[in-house]
Amino acid sequence: MATVFVLIVTITLITSLFISEGAVKHIIAQIKDKIDISVYVAPETSPEEMETIKDKLIGMPEVQIVTIVSKEDALEQFKEKHKNDPVLLESLDIVGTNPFYASLDIRANDPEQYAAILEVLNSSSLSDIIYKVDYVEKKTVIEKLSKFITDVNTGGLLIALALGVVAVLVAFNTIRVAIYDASREISIMRLVGASNRFIRGPFIVQGMIAGTIAALASFLVLVLMSYFLAPQIDAATNGFNVFSWFKARAFGLFFAQLASGIALGVISSLIAIRKYLTA
Amino acid sequence: MIFFENISKIYKPDTVALKNVSFQIAINENEFVSIVGKSGAGKTTLIKLLLREEEPTDGKIIYGGKNIAEIKNKELPLFRQKIGCVFQDYRLLPNKTVFENVAYAMELMGATDYEILRDVPRLLEIVGLEDRAKHFPIGLSGGEKQRTAIARALAVRPEVIIADEPTGNLDPYHTRDIISLLEKIYELGTTVILSTHDKAVINSLVRRVITLDNGEIIRDEEKGRFIL
Repeated sequence: MATVFVLIVTITLITSLFISEGAVKHIIAQIKDKIDISVYVAPETSPEEMETIKDKLIGMPEVQIVTIVSKEDALEQFKEKHKNDPVLLESLDIVGTNPFYASLDIRANDPEQYAAILEVLNSSSLSDIIYKVDYVEKKTVIEKLSKFITDVNTGGLLIALALGVVAVLVAFNTIRVAIYDASREISIMRLVGASNRFIRGPFIVQGMIAGTIAALASFLVLVLMSYFLAPQIDAATNGFNVFSWFKARAFGLFFAQLASGIALGVISSLIAIRKYLTA
Repeated sequence: MIFFENISKIYKPDTVALKNVSFQIAINENEFVSIVGKSGAGKTTLIKLLLREEEPTDGKIIYGGKNIAEIKNKELPLFRQKIGCVFQDYRLLPNKTVFENVAYAMELMGATDYEILRDVPRLLEIVGLEDRAKHFPIGLSGGEKQRTAIARALAVRPEVIIADEPTGNLDPYHTRDIISLLEKIYELGTTVILSTHDKAVINSLVRRVITLDNGEIIRDEEKGRFIL
């Protein structure tokens, strides 16, 4: 019973780590979506020229999406953003004309690719049209975010590995104690003339059964948990639906849990019983 | 034959359990041999050496023409299957019924389900436990447990039955039953080696008695009595 319980905890914990990785990836993708740079073009640039620039940028493999923001759009965005600030709106009236430049908002597939994109822009014929790029201001933030994403990924992996190892060791120790409890029985079996195969067999089968039951129970626990906790997790992660994520991978997860449960049960039993067998 | 040749056993650092013990016991022509002595005389050590649970410090034990020290570890189970054992603490498997405990010994030998279903009831009948077949050891009396152990020992059709203080935990009534059973097994053709410090048992048997004292044989008589 204790063996099955510990195996359930181990398998559930390791699977939860995979689910957490899915959630983290979702959050990281959300963060990446927020990062973009704006390329401001000279005032005399025509809409056709802007479309040409856009097409050129979209053709680059590093670029995910390009949005044209016209001078008028930029003015409207400013008015909307500062609609509760009458001083700023008044200053616009004083200026009289639209002071904003048209721009292209570029989002890369990866924050680290912005430098490469700008390199291409600056070395092309388009560099004459480009008035300003706000990459320099955002560069520090982009670099810090990139580093943060990498650190989270690496850190997450290391924590998952460490927890996984601890969980496996606890499961192994529990099985070892269970076999130790049976040591008197094992000595009786040996005295009556049981070979190593006869002694080992029942414990291996027990390990398999425990692993199977644990995998089934763990799967059920995770299905229920992901179903009932999905709304809260969705809210906390801004859109990661854990139940959908789980459903999409249910088959693979189930077989992975079954395989690892049985492997853990059998291997732990094999190692633990070795001490009681004759050479 | 079983030969004990100059067997000594010393437990570290300097406890002498057996000292230069030599004797022989016939297997093919069945014998009933009692090994007697006070607690600590070396009776159980002798039996452990015969079963190769331990190894002698000196000397050798020959069983059926072969030095048992030369038996390879993987052949040890086969060797132990030739010897039926009965212990003071019964040593039954607690999670198996009476039937299953006896059947287990036959399974180890490779008996088929048919052979098990045929022989186990007969064995239980011999020891008088035919109506306790489905009970677990925890529900049996001391005498019933010991009779189960004897049935298990007989299941392997052993060449020799070793009984190490089989009546140590039993009252006089059950003691008599067990000793009668062992005599019956002897009369059916199996050598019995009985280790005991029960004076009444020895004196009632009037058979060969090897007397141990402080690890040495002080007497070996054909119709022995318990004298220390």
